[in-house]
Amino acid sequence: MDVLILAGTRKGLFRLHSDEGRRDWSLDGPSLTGWEVFHAVRDPRQGTLFACTNSPAYGATVHRSRDEGRSWERTEGLGLPADSELTLERTWHIEPGHASEPDTVWLGAAPGVLFKSLDGGESFEAVRGVLEHPTRERWMPGAGGLCCHSVQLDHSDPARLYIAISAAGAFRSEDGGETWTPANKDVAAGFLPDPYPEVGQCVHKLLVHPARPERLWQQNHCGVYRSDDRGRNWERLDGNGLPSEFGFALAIHPREPDTAWVVPEESAMNRVSCDGRLGVYRTRDAGASWELRPAFEAAWVAVLREAGASDSLDPAGVYVGTQSGSVFVSPDEGENWIEAARQLPPVLSVEVSAWQ
Amino acid sequence: MAVILLPSLLAAEAGGRSRFELEAPSVESALRQLPVADLLFDEHGRLRSLVNVYVDGVDVRDRGGLAAPPGREVRVVAAVAGGTGACARPRTRPA
Repeated sequence: MDVLILAGTRKGLFRLHSDEGRRDWSLDGPSLTGWEVFHAVRDPRQGTLFACTNSPAYGATVHRSRDEGRSWERTEGLGLPADSELTLERTWHIEPGHASEPDTVWLGAAPGVLFKSLDGGESFEAVRGVLEHPTRERWMPGAGGLCCHSVQLDHSDPARLYIAISAAGAFRSEDGGETWTPANKDVAAGFLPDPYPEVGQCVHKLLVHPARPERLWQQNHCGVYRSDDRGRNWERLDGNGLPSEFGFALAIHPREPDTAWVVPEESAMNRVSCDGRLGVYRTRDAGASWELRPAFEAAWVAVLREAGASDSLDPAGVYVGTQSGSVFVSPDEGENWIEAARQLPPVLSVEVSAWQ
Repeated sequence: MAVILLPSLLAAEAGGRSRFELEAPSVESALRQLPVADLLFDEHGRLRSLVNVYVDGVDVRDRGGLAAPPGREVRVVAAVAGGTGACARPRTRPA
């Protein structure tokens, strides 16, 4: 079995290879040098690698590789329609489409926009239902811009998908992306005059459980939440043993809907790991309690929203990339940790693929 | 005939070519013939704010802008520092 970590960094893309044991890793790269790789993913349908690539000078785009990263093609002319009067700022997250739609690829981007490709990523078109959402005037950018960073599919129903935008909140579509309903009930926005608005929440990461697609998890600027009804209602969970409401990274178990991992940070004002240790907190009871599975001390590190991941193996692997250039791997669901790479450029994203 | 010179990232995106020889009536026309034109101009046709263009060693802004003839050599350079507007392009050197 091949296991591949795609580590997007401030200075290109690195690939880490291992086998089913996930204890010994070889480093390959960088590729896409000169680009900031906000997110990269291997499409399980065809094996294509996609990367969200950004340059302060040359703008935002997407690169794709059909030969495991030996060569790359760029999506040319990616941008927003003239009538929107918006300019594409950054590409944030690539999500391969439903298995029944092999050429569909979704792309989340700033300023608060979603793109859809029907040709495997050669071209993308902005999704009007997000671009022209009636609540858009109430959205505001977080520190990273008005980023659409989470795009999640319901693998049981290709018509249902979710996005999350910081700071606009979470949205659900039941019609393949045509229309979008805010899904932020009981999710706090403590930085606003109305702390529970319809939109404006600062979601940091949102995931849909693959085995129980009505269950959603989110790490928010203001807490950790779980929904068991497709985002209609949310239950706050960070009061159940987490040292902080604040954090970015979130990972969920591929088969057990009650198991998730988060990496709390001190606060919005001090974005480093709590108490001087890189602590990954795990719940096995749907957030009713959390236990610390410390990786390394002393460590004042920061983990960004795309830099947490899990794999599909048994036992499940958990992965964390840090802004100080390390990639940590737990091959056994958080019990033990390995520093698979260190001294990389700041890690912006981590994704994992495993295949025979 | 003008020679267009690209920095390394753009050359990589242009299939490894850092030098192009083009016939064009203006700097903009020359740049738009490049396979990396979409990286130089945004989706609304504006030159990206941190892309600098020099014509025969002179900032194109001082030669009449992108509508000016391309001269002998057009060199594309990413701005060294961030920022936009006047602060990104001081008109005089600091002491």
